[in-house]
This record gives sequence, structure tokens and C-alpha cells, in this order.
Amino acid sequence: MILNGLSLTVNAGEVHAIMGPNGSGKSTLSYVLSGREGYVVTQGSVTYRGQDLLAMEPDVRAAKGVFLAFQYPIEIPGVATMQFLKVALNAQRKARGEKELSTPDFMRLVKARAAKLGVSQDMLKRAVNVGFSGGEKKRAEILQMAVLEPSLCILDETDSGLDIDALRIVADGVNALRSPDRAMIVITHYQRLLDYIVPDVVHVLSQGRIVKSGGKNLAHELEERGYAQFEKDAA
Amino acid sequence: MNIAVNLTPAELALGGMMLPHARMEDWRWTNLRTLIDRPYPPGGKIAVAAKEIARLRDTSPLARMPAARLVFVNGAFSQGESRFPASGEVGIRPGLPRLSASDEPVASLNANFATDGLTLTIRSGANIDTPIELLFLATDADPRTIATRVAVDIGAGASATLIETFAGEGSYLANSAVSIALGEGARLDRVTLERQAPGAIHLADRDVTLQGRAVLRDFTLTAGAKLNRQNARYTLAGEHADARIAGAYLLGGRQHADTRLVVRHAKPHCTSREIFKCVMDDHARGIFQGKVIVDPGAQKTDGKQSSHALLLSETAEFDAKPELEIFADDVVCGHGATSGDLDHNHLFYLRSRGIPEREAKAMLVAAFVEEAFETIGNDHIRAALGEIATGWLASRGGAS
Repeated sequence: MILNGLSLTVNAGEVHAIMGPNGSGKSTLSYVLSGREGYVVTQGSVTYRGQDLLAMEPDVRAAKGVFLAFQYPIEIPGVATMQFLKVALNAQRKARGEKELSTPDFMRLVKARAAKLGVSQDMLKRAVNVGFSGGEKKRAEILQMAVLEPSLCILDETDSGLDIDALRIVADGVNALRSPDRAMIVITHYQRLLDYIVPDVVHVLSQGRIVKSGGKNLAHELEERGYAQFEKDAA
Repeated sequence: MNIAVNLTPAELALGGMMLPHARMEDWRWTNLRTLIDRPYPPGGKIAVAAKEIARLRDTSPLARMPAARLVFVNGAFSQGESRFPASGEVGIRPGLPRLSASDEPVASLNANFATDGLTLTIRSGANIDTPIELLFLATDADPRTIATRVAVDIGAGASATLIETFAGEGSYLANSAVSIALGEGARLDRVTLERQAPGAIHLADRDVTLQGRAVLRDFTLTAGAKLNRQNARYTLAGEHADARIAGAYLLGGRQHADTRLVVRHAKPHCTSREIFKCVMDDHARGIFQGKVIVDPGAQKTDGKQSSHALLLSETAEFDAKPELEIFADDVVCGHGATSGDLDHNHLFYLRSRGIPEREAKAMLVAAFVEEAFETIGNDHIRAALGEIATGWLASRGGAS
């Protein structure tokens, strides 16, 4: 049992940070929400915009606006980044009954978003995440997010492996996507990311459930006093 | 040969010729005595309406590509259906070319039953830009053997793109022998598209010789026929010859495909690469047998072969038999073989971005075979064949 008794409500326009020590269930939460195989939900429910999220296939969730920025983005040799992005965007648009984007329109969209995130043309020409550095992979995840324009963004340890300059670029990219009709769940181990992506609410996850919630200052408190106090509470 | 054996109906129909069987080392996975379960008598002439030929021809993904097209219908060279190369530097002589003596079973069948063929020659130094396609069509008729034979001679320093396309309908046994000679410094881009009818048997024998500094780029897509056996021998007969031999299998249902390659480095400083990417679904079975021979004195040989299988079902099977016979001491040779199923992390990543499962699987299949397709130099051909790979899963109702 990795998640146990977790209760969380995220409203449109809000940014929630979920902090917790290793093994507290942070990544499991992100995988359960995005529909990865191998996780069985034995109890409880997830309601997304009034619908049962757990009943949906991963691609259906994506088309309905759920996006997971992976902690470890997957390398897929042989699948070109641009083709992948175009197929993904148009599959989502098709699923939503929207008109598919033409190749020139798509290229314009990606180039504009890529420039802001410092994603080079060279990176776009390569296979998905293949040969990208850790920082490049994270930027590429945020680029996908910017192109797909989801309504629920789940960022799983997006700060891990980033130096301070890369962190700033990624955070700027995320902040640019903040909007009244978009919600974000920012999962992180360290408070550092939250200096750049300032959350509305901070939750502490310990042993599979949220043991404390508070304002952005809770993150600073955690940084000073550590997670140990909450682990005791959860036990 | 054991004369006490009872001949099978197929063998009786072939005038008592015995088919290869599992006790022959090269044929251990492809026992034609049991796999060919009905007679395919050597065919006589079959009258076919021009409209029917055009319909069949137009099903080819390469039909609209500008190319010279030499068309065989049911084993007969049809000059009327053909579009001859515009260049005067290409010579075409109808009729059966001589076949070098061989006890190889597929070649023996061809020696006995080939009904028609042609000899294609490209003058030394000629650069033929427009691809030349040999199109072998079989129409729906009684089960029969259709055997053809082609010889290709590419002069020194000449270059060309040669496509061999096999397509048809109904139930037949196609036997195709092709011999190719590349002169000094010649370059050949060769593409074979095997999309025979689902009820067909495809037996091919290839003999390719490269003189010094000749360059061969060779790609075969094996997608059709219920039973496929492709033999090819490549001889690097001059220094600095360079052969890259690639192939892809797209097999479903109960399809069976067995490729047997022998690459012989007869002279020093030659390079050979074999790269095969094989996708099997359902109960399909793929086999890749690759042998590299390095003759005494063929120093500085650089020969590598690899075969990789993607198994999309629990019941699909792949067998690989790499062999090296090295009689020189200063060479770099290697082989590798892998097999596995689709990577679930790849699949989840694609699906998490909104790509439906079927489409995601199709993308991963196309990605898997891509490395082999890179061997195709001509952009049009690569794109057209790439679409077959991308559309393959969807066209057959998808993998489970």
C-alpha cells in the first residue's frame, strides 16, 4: 500500500505543491493520476472535472487535459520529436472534436514555444529525448506541456537534476502557463523549486497520505525543520 | 538423398524433385516437405485481361513513383505492360539468362521450372537516376509454380537503383532467381518489396558479386506470403567493396519467413553490414540465418551482422543463427541478436501524451524497423515503404 487515505482537492487556477520524503508516495500519486500500468487502486476515487478519472485510459486522460511531466522522461529511439508532438497534439484535438492542426501551423506553434524554453532546433530534430541531457529532458517536458496546453499539469520532481539556470528557465516556462483555468500539482522533494514556482497551497505527503497542508510558508518551515516531525505524526 | 522416401504431392507435381527438409542444416526451421502441403504444378500460360493487370499493378505503393517498369505477369515477361528505361545506356534482353550451376534447392527449382526472364545491363560509367523496377505479378488462378530468372550486370563505375516488387492474389508458389554483378566501382541501391498474396509461397535465390570499390545498398521488406524463404549469397570479390544488407519483416497470422544470407569476403579491405529488424505478431515465425565467411588472405575485413526481433504476441517466434567462418587473422567481425516485446515505458509515455494505444504501438513498430529502412537511399522509396511499416498494425486489425 503506497497511497493510503490521501485526500486532495485542486481547483482550477490553483498551484498545489506536494512535498514529502523519499518513499512517501509522491511519484505513485503522479502515476495513478496519469494512468500508468501496474498500480491498482483498491479504494477511493479520483474525480476530474466531474468525471471518474480512474475509469479512463491514459490517452483519454491526456485528451481531457491531464499532463504528467515525468521525473525521468523516457527516451524513444526512432520516434522523431516533431512527429511525436504533432501526432500527440492532433490525437488530442481529434478526441476533443477539434480540427487537427496543419503542419505549417503546428511548426509555427512549436517553434514559438521552443524558443521561449531554450529548446534548440537541433533538439527538435532528434528522436524523443534521445541524447538529451537531464536539463534538456526537463525543458522538453515543459515544451510538450506548452504545446499540448493541458488543464491539469502534474510536475513530478521537475527540479531534479537541474542547475540553477536551467531551473529558472523551466520555472519561467511553467509560470507562463499559469492561468485561471489551469491547475497544477507540483511534486518536489526540495523547497528550492517553490521559490520560482510559488504555490497557493503546500501539502506534506508522508506514508501515503497528506499529513499537513498550509500556505507557501509551510515549504520554508519544512526546509528548516525537515520531514521527521510529520513522519512521527503519520505513524 | 534418401530414395526410400515417399514423395509428397507437392514433390510429385514438381516432377519428383525432392524439396528441402529439416535434416538439411540450412533448412532446419523451414521444412518445405511439410510446409508445402499441396501441389503447385509448374504453370502454363494464363490469359489475363489488361484491366486486371493494371488493377494489381496499381495496388503497389510504388505504382505512382516515376520509374522504368519491367513487368512479369504469371511468370511471363510482358513487354506491352512494361515501361522501358529511357536511357540508351540500359540494355534489356528478354529471355532466360544462364544460371550458374548450384545444388541449392531454390536455385535447382528455378533451373528446372523457370519459364521466362531477362538480362538487364547498365553500361560502364552510366548514372541511371530513374529507378528501374522489376514488377512480378501473379493473378488469382489455380495453384501453380511461377518461376522467373533475371540477370543484372552493372558496368564499372555505373550507378543505378533497382527495385524488385512481388505482388499477387490467390494461391501460388513464386520462385525467383536473380543474379547481380557489380563492376569495379559500381553502385547499386537495391530494394526488394515482398508483398505476395497471403496464400502465396515465395522462394527466392540471389547471387550478388561485387568487384573492387563497388558499393551495394540492399534492403528487403518481407511482408506478404504465408511462407517465405529468401537465400542470398554476396561475394566481395574485389578490394574495398562495401555491402550494406538490411531487411525488415512485418509478419502476422501464421506467416513464416526465413532469410539465409552468406556474405563472403574474398578480398582484403572490404566492409559488410547486415542489419535485420523483424516484427512478428500472432503465431508468426521469423528466422534469420546469417553467415560471414572471410577467405584466407582477406585481411582488414570489417564484417558485422545483427538481427533484432520484436515479438508482439506470446505465440510469435524468432530464431537467429549467426555464423562466422574466419580464415584470416587481421579482421574485425561481429554479430549480435536480440529479441523482445514492446517497451511498456515507451508505450505509456506516448499514451500519456494522448496518443491512443493502437497508434502508439504502430509508431513503436515503425521506430523499431527504422534503422533497417535507413539503408534505402532513395527518399521516395523510403517514404513509400515507411508508410507500409507505419500502417501495418492498423491494416491487420492491430496487435493484442
